[in-house]
Amino acid sequence: MSDDEKQRRFELLVLPHLDAGLNLARWLTHNDHDAQDVMQEACVRAIRFIEGFRGDNARAWLLQIVRNTCFSWLKENRPAEILVCDDADGVLDGIAAPAADEPPAVAMRNADRLQINRAIAALSVVYREVLVLRELDDLSYKDIARIVNIPVGTVMSRLARARGLLQQALLAEGGSVPRSVRL
Amino acid sequence: MRSEIELQNVNAFVDGELDVLSQREIEERMKHDVALRAQVEGLRHLRATVRDLAEYHVAPEAFRQRVASLVAMPAHMPARLSLGKATVQHWLAWRPMVVSFAAMALALALLVLNVNQTRWRPGYDDRLGEEVVASHVRSTLGQHLVDVTSSDHHTVKPWLSSKLDFSPAIQESLLPGSVFLGGRVDYLDGRPVAALVYRQGEHVVNSFLWPTNAVDVGAVFSAKRGFQIAHWSRNGMNHWVISDVNREEFGAIVHALEVAEPNGQ
Repeated sequence: MSDDEKQRRFELLVLPHLDAGLNLARWLTHNDHDAQDVMQEACVRAIRFIEGFRGDNARAWLLQIVRNTCFSWLKENRPAEILVCDDADGVLDGIAAPAADEPPAVAMRNADRLQINRAIAALSVVYREVLVLRELDDLSYKDIARIVNIPVGTVMSRLARARGLLQQALLAEGGSVPRSVRL
Repeated sequence: MRSEIELQNVNAFVDGELDVLSQREIEERMKHDVALRAQVEGLRHLRATVRDLAEYHVAPEAFRQRVASLVAMPAHMPARLSLGKATVQHWLAWRPMVVSFAAMALALALLVLNVNQTRWRPGYDDRLGEEVVASHVRSTLGQHLVDVTSSDHHTVKPWLSSKLDFSPAIQESLLPGSVFLGGRVDYLDGRPVAALVYRQGEHVVNSFLWPTNAVDVGAVFSAKRGFQIAHWSRNGMNHWVISDVNREEFGAIVHALEVAEPNGQ
């Protein structure tokens, strides 16, 4: 493939999804510099694979590369973050499922930007990635399963947990807000 | 407390990921089950809160430019950029210089553009026309015609504004019989742009717009690979419109878009 053709495919397949990729990298690495380094590395990988791409969903394809690049980076630079995923879901299942019947709406009514961002950032990376892919990138369960390389059933369980944990965190934070403000 | 599976199903319900039968079943149960209803509402509220408030980290322009030139300079890139600490530090150490070079290049480019005006670049319109055709064809071939489906500009406009660094003016109707289908974010001329999509009879009309600092220019018509194309600049916005309707109808559509365009957008 000529460089021109590569450039054309890169502009067609990768550049339109640069924001989605950087957003994912930023949420997984927690800071701008690392996110840009990881995203750039992901783009270099994408260029290498670009000849072979035949699918119709370039966004999911790129996000899969970004996700894998992020995890290589985490393994090397933040091994503690992904310790829990090596043991996959056995360990995760041990985490208590949040009570489902709690009324979360009240506490969340006043959740502000900072609280939300902090609560998402505090989620373990396996929950954070499915939540970001679902809520910020609007991806289907099927696409998320492909990107994260897990079965759809695991996407469902992680997403349900992610939301439960988020509700709990916001509920806990809501407790510190004066009652008069909360209503 | 509900079972794990039940909880997952309620989540999938809220995500619209259940099959029709299961979706129906939950809807039916919600009529009588107060706790289930509260749970669904809680999840919907959480989703809306996260979508509204969680930060979407957009690529800064300098980064976009850096990445856009990656293909062109493979000779300067290591075959595989190892992300070991040393490499990262090395890269970090070089970054200020890379950034200042990029900034200088950008400043020069802007200077040249200001002197010459964008459209003097030979082949610029032609290349952009090709991009517009490619984008139009892509949108009609795949299932990705619109990101946000709504005939109401009050829905589409805020959605697009939240994804873009500008707020596109939206016109809901072009000609009698045209239908506004919605909008999507597309990528033209090296940047994200707003694409507004209309149906005119059997034909799809894509209307692209994004900010520019070029002077106002009236509509220029052309045809490429059987598609009618028109572009103009007005009030700091670039417009490109494309469709496979016949030339007369296309002229009327462009006229409707150009004339009715609100000022000051």
